[in-house]
Amino acid sequence: MKEDKLGFDAYEVFAQTDSMRPHEHQFSLLAPNPEMALTLAKENFLRRSNITSIWVVRRDHIVKSQPADRAQFARLDKSYRMKQSYSGLADTWRKYKTMPLPPIKDSASANVASEDCADDD
Amino acid sequence: MADDDQRLAEFQARIDRGEKVEAEDWMPDDYRRQLIRLIAMHGISEIMGTLPEKEWVPKAPTLYRKLAIMAKVQDEEGHGQLLIRVAEDLLEPLGQNREDLFEDLFAGRLKFHNVFHMPAPTWADAGIIGWLVDGAAIVTQSMLLSGSYAPYGRALTRIVEEEGFHIHHGESICVSLAEGTPAQRAMLQDALERWWPALMTFFGPREGTHLSTHQQQNLRWRIRTKTNEELRQRFLTKFVGRIRSLGLIIPDPILRFDETTRQWHYREPDWDEFRRIIHNHGPMSQERLYLRQLTYDEGRWVREVLSKNARRSA
Repeated sequence: MKEDKLGFDAYEVFAQTDSMRPHEHQFSLLAPNPEMALTLAKENFLRRSNITSIWVVRRDHIVKSQPADRAQFARLDKSYRMKQSYSGLADTWRKYKTMPLPPIKDSASANVASEDCADDD
Repeated sequence: MADDDQRLAEFQARIDRGEKVEAEDWMPDDYRRQLIRLIAMHGISEIMGTLPEKEWVPKAPTLYRKLAIMAKVQDEEGHGQLLIRVAEDLLEPLGQNREDLFEDLFAGRLKFHNVFHMPAPTWADAGIIGWLVDGAAIVTQSMLLSGSYAPYGRALTRIVEEEGFHIHHGESICVSLAEGTPAQRAMLQDALERWWPALMTFFGPREGTHLSTHQQQNLRWRIRTKTNEELRQRFLTKFVGRIRSLGLIIPDPILRFDETTRQWHYREPDWDEFRRIIHNHGPMSQERLYLRQLTYDEGRWVREVLSKNARRSA
């Protein structure tokens, strides 16, 4: 464990501004123990903010991804997981709202349904 | 006793002020029990819900659809994991964890959602699940988002975001089939007919029936903010028009919106059938439970090897 000359540890501070929000990283500070870290976070740096909760975590307790991972995260195409890939649907629904598709015929006989069942585009 | 009443009154006052409850806050035992019941059922249902859909991963019609449905299955599994963690924080003071939830599931003490007891025999079923089953789920979950228990609300924020993708994926499948050949259109109509009864019972019975004993208490505690019937009405308002715009025929001859009462009228679903299904007597209940238990049993040695307890005793 890394300590500075005073024997203090680095702590990362996370705070939440609303019960429905996640805790977000704010800054780091040096403190001799977790209780002091929490007090310092509260009294020195978060005096002004409306805070619902504070977490302090000793930095060496955090396991981090490596800088080299960054490139890999960026390289992967995730578009097939994204809602945005289906943005054309809004127009489709607008179209069918004003001009619905013809009713689907009795499904049991649909395999032999006549031409009027075919799609219109 | 007076102290307990006092505490209970203070808790209720907090809820009434719109405050949120955290895992480490004091809460009435019954509030905890209702949350565990709801969140464990939701989490386990997410996991059981991957079983009908994963059947379609190897059979998806295009590579893009395969990637998308695989992503959806992964998301649902992830939702289950998030929710089980929320449940475990509530279970901790009772000395229980996810092992107990799975044991309860296998023993029939913990139910999973009625829709996941149903078969998905065609690709159109995969579409209807994405569009309408996830569509129904989002109606419930958007309501639960504003509930009083903050950890559940935070998990739901993430979940609802991803469900948005699932619905678009499902809509896209259904639109393609509806625009397709007569056989594809008939397949979609068949799937809708198969799923409609399960969608109508999805939200549970009206309040005041013997099947809905918890609704009132849960409303008071803001564990939920709308009744089952309000949710069903919302679902119908949201989806009936679009379903019909694709040429689909909803298998309920009396379904209509009454302009004066602003309510949907519909054929009363078969609640006895609903009850049979959620008590694991649905068409696929046993097969799905068997699969889940098989995975659970076959994975046991992995959990044991990775367990800290194992390392200590080694």
